[in-house]
Amino acid sequence: MNHNFQTVSKPFPRHEAAAKASGKAVYTNDICLPGMVYGMILRSPYAHAKVLSIDLSEAEEMDEFLGAVLPEEVPDKLYNSSGNPPSPLLLKDEKILTDHPLCVGDRILAIAAETPAALRKAASRIQIRYELLPAANTMEEALAPASAPIQPHLSDTNILAERVAEQGDTEKGFLEADFIFEDDFHTSPMQHVALEPTSCICDFSDGVHLNIWSNSQTPYQERRILAELFSISENHVRIVKPAMGGGFGARQQLHNQPACALLSRKIRRPVKMINTREEEMYASVIRHEMETHLKFGVTKSGILTAFQTEYYLNCGPYTTHTPTIVAAASRKFQYRVPNYLFHGYTVATNGPVAGAFRGYGNAQLTFGRELMMSRIARQMHLDPIEFRLQNHVKAGEKFPAAAAAVTSCAIEKCAIRCREIQAEIDALEDLTENEDICQAWGVAFSCHGSGPSSKEGMSAALLLANDDGSIHLMTGSADIGQGSETMLMQIAAESLGIPLSSIRISAADTDKTPYDTGTFGSSQTYVSGNAVASACEDLIRKLIQALSVSFADTEVSFTEKKTFLIPSEKKELSLQEAVRHCAFGMKGMVLMGSSSYKAQESPNPFAVCMVKAEYEKKTNSITLKHVIEAVDVGTAINPLTVKGQIEGGICQGIGYALTESLEYNKKAGKTNSSDLLSYRIPLLGDMPEIHAEIVESYEPTGPHGAKSVGELCTVPVAPAIVDAVSQASKKKINRIPLSEFFLIKPNQARSCTAYTRR
Amino acid sequence: MEHYSIHLTINGKKYTFFVTEEDTLLDVIREKAGLTGTKQGCGCGQCGACTVIMNQKAVNSCCILALQADGSEVETIEGLDSPSGLHPIQEAYIEKGAIQCGFCTPGMIMSTKALLDQNPQPSRPEIREALSGNICRCTGYTKIEEAVQAAAAKLKEVSHES
Repeated sequence: MNHNFQTVSKPFPRHEAAAKASGKAVYTNDICLPGMVYGMILRSPYAHAKVLSIDLSEAEEMDEFLGAVLPEEVPDKLYNSSGNPPSPLLLKDEKILTDHPLCVGDRILAIAAETPAALRKAASRIQIRYELLPAANTMEEALAPASAPIQPHLSDTNILAERVAEQGDTEKGFLEADFIFEDDFHTSPMQHVALEPTSCICDFSDGVHLNIWSNSQTPYQERRILAELFSISENHVRIVKPAMGGGFGARQQLHNQPACALLSRKIRRPVKMINTREEEMYASVIRHEMETHLKFGVTKSGILTAFQTEYYLNCGPYTTHTPTIVAAASRKFQYRVPNYLFHGYTVATNGPVAGAFRGYGNAQLTFGRELMMSRIARQMHLDPIEFRLQNHVKAGEKFPAAAAAVTSCAIEKCAIRCREIQAEIDALEDLTENEDICQAWGVAFSCHGSGPSSKEGMSAALLLANDDGSIHLMTGSADIGQGSETMLMQIAAESLGIPLSSIRISAADTDKTPYDTGTFGSSQTYVSGNAVASACEDLIRKLIQALSVSFADTEVSFTEKKTFLIPSEKKELSLQEAVRHCAFGMKGMVLMGSSSYKAQESPNPFAVCMVKAEYEKKTNSITLKHVIEAVDVGTAINPLTVKGQIEGGICQGIGYALTESLEYNKKAGKTNSSDLLSYRIPLLGDMPEIHAEIVESYEPTGPHGAKSVGELCTVPVAPAIVDAVSQASKKKINRIPLSEFFLIKPNQARSCTAYTRR
Repeated sequence: MEHYSIHLTINGKKYTFFVTEEDTLLDVIREKAGLTGTKQGCGCGQCGACTVIMNQKAVNSCCILALQADGSEVETIEGLDSPSGLHPIQEAYIEKGAIQCGFCTPGMIMSTKALLDQNPQPSRPEIREALSGNICRCTGYTKIEEAVQAAAAKLKEVSHES
């Protein structure tokens, strides 16, 4: 398909890259306000306890100690920290500070001092006495009949929420099947390890206006929650997101901001709080541990008749996002199945708090589902890819239990492209199988949404036309490192027919930019992008009106060439010429375009991932050799950043499959994985050859045909890896990380770059 | 706490700082010299975000006490570009799309510079070894590896021209 794109579908380096490459980009910790001091949270070392006393006296002897906020000083209100729009699924169950900690890392008190060194010293002088209480450290313990409810105001048991999604009659579907396949799967808790620690500066020193600089994915939701917590109006809360060192879902919620704000109000100084890496690991947020039981019914000819799952997520003591994550997971079954039953459970424990993480429930369920799809195919002597394609939904069909049909789907192209690359690799190197070494390929499919699958995505954009015809784009969309600002600038440049260099962007400042639901649910390209495209249409309409005042005797129109046609003058004006024409004089006009966009759809992007793995018997070790992933993301607005998303998603999937697990010591009731040596994420030397591919596709409802990429690309990686490793090692594996079973050896990189096709 | 004076040359400029025995080189670079391009990601030498070049070697500045650095020559990310433009390594990172959130970038670029200063035409295994002390959570490293290769090619061109 030829769309004659000028700016879209072109690989532009991101606009802020030079600032980041030269150390000039300003992150939260680089900001210093006049009078600013340093704060920290003192946290519970116990999974369940009661605070008996807090003794500040030794800290108060220090001149540099500035004060503390204690549990009894916070508003007597429960809140939900997640940065989602209001929903009955979001249960209020946490307090800003607590004297009844329900997990290791729970917030007890907040303290401030003049310098970071004085802060550490003061913290060491504060005595907190606890009474230890029994804790439910695992889902098994929490679900045992004798287990006390962790959130008694929500439930008498530790199941805090349930979700059923169904279609047809699974009992009937299993009767119609020739074969039944069922199994249990487990995935481990994972930490985001965004390289920039969770950071905020809160200035509430006048007690009236709360100003926050923080690495936030959802500034507008956080503004709303904070305004409610402190009983102030939203126009008195400003949240600014500076340059941001990653998120991956971890900052789709409030962390230390409420306590930091109260501390600032009490000591009447701006307060900076930066988590240590240790706090990041045990006291921020993690991806849910999952237990699931999956059951498939299949006919002799390989057609799915029924699918059923019981899906348990361990949310820790506070629900945060969990019920919405469970709901989102129920909407990712990309195969045609007449009978479908999803039963999801939010399970409270005294383990670490879980929340949003790239994939939002999809990564966990897809892990078991895709492993089963490969196994079923092989047991029935079917090709695992053909088996999937045969059952896959097509454009116009619906996912099970879905209200709306799939609007575009190029999964077959993804599979073909993966197989082409697999064939090239197989032609260049052997697929070894001998007494000691066995290599094998594995495969997995995935899908996701573009914007929240609940279709709650909303965004607005403003375009200010400067009098020389250059454009200032203002959006609430938060670029957390993925490159959404450049992508939105490209959408605007394409829509307006002007060069990318003529656009400047301001984003994610609740005082200065219009509302955006937030950076989550892979929303930015589709939801914020549609808002920008719609604001461009508004600006064009305004310009036609303005030109019609100047050229009253003729019908002005906007052409496919992105010019304004003035028939009476036999003239075509570019947008910039048109703006200059209308900028000044008696008939001059200030030109602005605006939009308010509400998502009607959440179109599904699709991916196919193939992995070549090697098993060495002698050492019981595994090595990843190649990971291929081909994606259907509609139009890739910026192929350079889309490939970056795929490669980064693959890397996180590799970590998830191989080594990453927040190891939990049941006896001590706390995690052993408190730093980046005991929690091992992939390094450059660990990486296999990566082949990231974008297939041609066009989404009719997307801005210039685009869907999403961010979460999609990480989801199929772990099941494809485990499928390959199972094939190579001839072992059935139903849980990750694989470091529980094998020695993990890095791939020896080839010196030549025979595989560098980029 | 007692303060000691130390002398450092940072990006060619001479400084005297008064430091405690607790202060790290990273504290001095960020807080006292005001060079906030160098980042703190873990504070214990595991992530590489604070990498600077000290006496021609890439080091984790969070693991070096300011007192240990007394008399050293230090290069930080702010020392790379010049009035005539960006350094070829910076250009390569930008052009190859090797920068996403950017928090690892200053450290990654300093590790790259330390490598290419010593070994202008590194092999892939040499690149992988030299940069495996720097964590990147966004890119999957593919484009970073390409950027290092592209930077080596650019620097070779520059040295041929001069």
